[in-house]
Amino acid sequence: MFTATLDLRKFQYSIAFFTFLAATTSVYSSETNNDPVKELAKPRSVVNIGAGQLFNDNARFGQYTGLRNEGPYGIFNVDISKRYDDTGTWFKLLGRNLGLQNRDVHFEHSKQGNWGYFIDYSQTPRYEPFTVNTAVTGIGTTDPHIPTSPTTGNPAQLSTERHSIGFGFNKFLPGNLELHFHFRNEEKDGDRIFGRGNRLGEPRLSGFNGMPSPRAIGGFEFIPEPINSTIRIFGTTLDYVGKDLQLSGGYYGTMYNNKNALLTPVGGSTVGGIFSPSEYTPISLAPDNQSHQGFLSGGYSFTPTTRGTFKVAYTRATQTDTFTPSLFTAPGIGSNLGGRVDTALAQAGLTARPLQKLSINTNFRFEDRDDKTPVLFYNPMAAWHDDLNGNRWNGLNNPRSFRTITSKFEASYALPHNFRLVGSVDYEHRDRTGTATNTGHRFRTDELSYRAELRRSLSETITGTISYIHSDRFGSSFLTNTTGSGDPFFNLIAPSNLADRARDKVRFLANWDPIDSLSIQVSIDESFDNYGHRAGSDLGLRKGSARNYSLDATYTFSERLQATAWLSRNETHINQASRNAITDSGIREIWGANLHNIGTSVGLEVTAKPTDKLETGANFMFSDNTDKFNQKVTLEPQVNIVPNLTTQYSNLRLFARYDIRRNLGVRLDYILDHFKTNEWTWTGWRYTDGTTLTQDTNQMASFAFLSVLYSWQ
Amino acid sequence: MLDNSKTAQIILSWLLAISFVIGILILPKYVFAEDLDDADPPQDLILKGDGKCTVCHDESSDNPILAIGKTKHGTTADHRTPTCTSCHGEGGNHEDTPHKAPMPQRTFGKKSVNSIEERNNACLACHQGGKRMHWSGSTHANRDVACTSCHTIHTEQDKVRNRITQPEVCFNCHKEMRQLINRPYRHPIREGKVICSDCHNPHGSAGPSKMVRDNVNDTCYTCHMEKRGPFVYNHPPVQENCAICHNPHGTTAPNLLRTRSPFICQECHEPNTHQGSSGTLTGAYARNTLARGCLNCHTQIHGSNMPENIRNESMFQR
Repeated sequence: MFTATLDLRKFQYSIAFFTFLAATTSVYSSETNNDPVKELAKPRSVVNIGAGQLFNDNARFGQYTGLRNEGPYGIFNVDISKRYDDTGTWFKLLGRNLGLQNRDVHFEHSKQGNWGYFIDYSQTPRYEPFTVNTAVTGIGTTDPHIPTSPTTGNPAQLSTERHSIGFGFNKFLPGNLELHFHFRNEEKDGDRIFGRGNRLGEPRLSGFNGMPSPRAIGGFEFIPEPINSTIRIFGTTLDYVGKDLQLSGGYYGTMYNNKNALLTPVGGSTVGGIFSPSEYTPISLAPDNQSHQGFLSGGYSFTPTTRGTFKVAYTRATQTDTFTPSLFTAPGIGSNLGGRVDTALAQAGLTARPLQKLSINTNFRFEDRDDKTPVLFYNPMAAWHDDLNGNRWNGLNNPRSFRTITSKFEASYALPHNFRLVGSVDYEHRDRTGTATNTGHRFRTDELSYRAELRRSLSETITGTISYIHSDRFGSSFLTNTTGSGDPFFNLIAPSNLADRARDKVRFLANWDPIDSLSIQVSIDESFDNYGHRAGSDLGLRKGSARNYSLDATYTFSERLQATAWLSRNETHINQASRNAITDSGIREIWGANLHNIGTSVGLEVTAKPTDKLETGANFMFSDNTDKFNQKVTLEPQVNIVPNLTTQYSNLRLFARYDIRRNLGVRLDYILDHFKTNEWTWTGWRYTDGTTLTQDTNQMASFAFLSVLYSWQ
Repeated sequence: MLDNSKTAQIILSWLLAISFVIGILILPKYVFAEDLDDADPPQDLILKGDGKCTVCHDESSDNPILAIGKTKHGTTADHRTPTCTSCHGEGGNHEDTPHKAPMPQRTFGKKSVNSIEERNNACLACHQGGKRMHWSGSTHANRDVACTSCHTIHTEQDKVRNRITQPEVCFNCHKEMRQLINRPYRHPIREGKVICSDCHNPHGSAGPSKMVRDNVNDTCYTCHMEKRGPFVYNHPPVQENCAICHNPHGTTAPNLLRTRSPFICQECHEPNTHQGSSGTLTGAYARNTLARGCLNCHTQIHGSNMPENIRNESMFQR
């Protein structure tokens, strides 16, 4: 494992080194160019090398860049572009953040209009923003060792990293044809937060339907999940581009390979006997899977104002990862799931202008996702034995198929003064297979939407749109939820994606240029949702709303000074209800929650060029997000409280660039990043094995870097 | 045989003659451009036939255009490369009487009087098909979005094709997203590692919301393929649409969940026993709110491929 990591690091450095080599070679081979036209019209290459210092350790600023630990970092970016004008041959090399952990390299060589190929590399880290304090050992392996009792541990940093290498090729062929081929291989390695647990309920004298309920048993253990997987995506396309007819057909394939099939934690708590966490082993991890798709899409211009488009595709996705032989499987269960999902897609659209002032647009889409996985008794005994909650289920696996039909009709009519009146009807129909067990289910939902809009797109001063949309979702009857023994289960909640819903939405957008130097944009939208319920119940989602307001202004003081300021506010609200577990006194209280999310952001950007040689800029952004969890609970109100959660994020970026001469400049950058939160997600939480997660709730990081820019043609 | 001095004289004479000819041909464009005689057709600088445009639109004009030479539209060795008039029209009046008719036949700026459709047709004349196959009928086309609303043609760096700056262009209209990407749980959009066009094809697609693949889930699988399954025990919303539970643009709940546990789970799940418990940070049911919430036990929320069914596998516990 260590060797592999070392090799990977070598590879990353090799990427940076070869990019540097290519850049250097390119600099030396560059031509001196004194022709002013060529200077203006030939591609320019730039290399940017420098060093920076990160002040303060942090978790958030460097979450996806690796800029986490205080210290020096290298700055190295290249953008090399070379074109041979006589042949139209291009060499392009783009390297970004080569001195950091989130480096990207893209190399492209092509003869424009004839052939081309590219190779690219991308590295993406993700650091878990919370620090894990744990006594669990073997992090990153499939057999971590879990303490049997709460144990104080040491800090550990979980992270994952993606390394992606891709290449592609294209070639123009006679007859207006072009062939494309692409391939991408992405390795993802590391570890992430995971766990196992079983109920740790407070004692109850009795459970549902008088069945005895386990008391204060089980626990929760921190089990880091090892990540070691590969994603491959590849395909080929043949395009035909004619004057009126265009076609694109080909193949698209994907493969997922997980090198870890099972997680087999060692140790763990045995308190609770058969309900204890240690009994929950091994744990299945994501299985290998693959898909293969053939497709054909096209467009045809019947007349200059009438065009049709279509796409047909057929995909076969399979999951036949072998079950680990040591696992117990019921008679008749094969060595793998035999998972197979076939998806057929057909889409067609038509746009036309039958009258000078009237445009129409129609679209139809059919998608049939047919899960052909065999349905078997994975647990034939399930219907006769209670699960840990005292319920019985059918023991079958549960493939689900979906069929979706969407259609749209839109008409737009030109009015005087460059206004247009637009009206549209959208219809979506979904069929689902499946059964109603522990959640509600309906076989069919339909959603019908109407939109009316007034738009002005052409004007020297004011353009904008105002629109109103109303949609209704409805469907077939909800099935009765039943347990495996056929007994009715609860039937109180209409799931959020299935519930009847009436939605009203208003949108307003205006662009106003009162004077040449000032541009103002106002954007407002509001929507209101009203959910339907199961018969005799008002649990689940009740109402929802969302509001977004934005104001942007750009002012050009002069050619050398510009400023942009913006303000955005976003509010969402959900009203929902559920019902508490039965208490010893037999009460089941219906309680409600008003969930608010309020976000406010402001931004300011100024760019200035005080002299011909000096360019400066500043960019500031502040964002405040608050979640409010207003619960209406009568029982134990002192316990059933969820405090507001607030996060503030601000970022200031300053830069100054000075051109020493035409092709040589220096640049100074400064970034100040502030993250502050009162997030309680992990506060007060301690796993049964003693693991806790913590974060610095007030993180301030600054990064200053100085670099040299050299350009040439 | 010529002696060396005669050879040198001949070479020198030729060099002088060539220099003179070159000087005659090239210099006036830069030094004496304003003194061009009407009889002398202006010389092309970059594109075929661009002389009549570049004679005025040099880098000192209000509308400098020479930088197009740095782009693929300036690669003249490619026989498909357009000319100025391919996009802007012949503009005879504009050229002949620039003060009376200051606009060419077709312009693309803010003050253009050409319809959006007319402007876009200039681009679609070449860029129809391939990834733009579904432009016609797409939301952007129907909402009067011009190609030049997002793309800049006469510059070497097209902001929307740069992974770092692309989101700024999209946020010009999609302002809500500007806020979402700065939420505490997010994709690395600010870092340019996941950008709008990784998931959406702004030129239209056969999928909903202009997804680059044919549906939401297939688009998510391009990076999160481990969620595809199918599993022995599937979680129905996972198979139907990732966006039922997740908001990929950024959230205040961990793992890009639209709302925190237990609230998001209670939007579907029947309140059997513990499933209906109210949110709390203390007491027995804190397990549904703190840490991973409901996922503290139901760890395999995207589906479990465990063929055994003795430990609540169907409830995604292992």
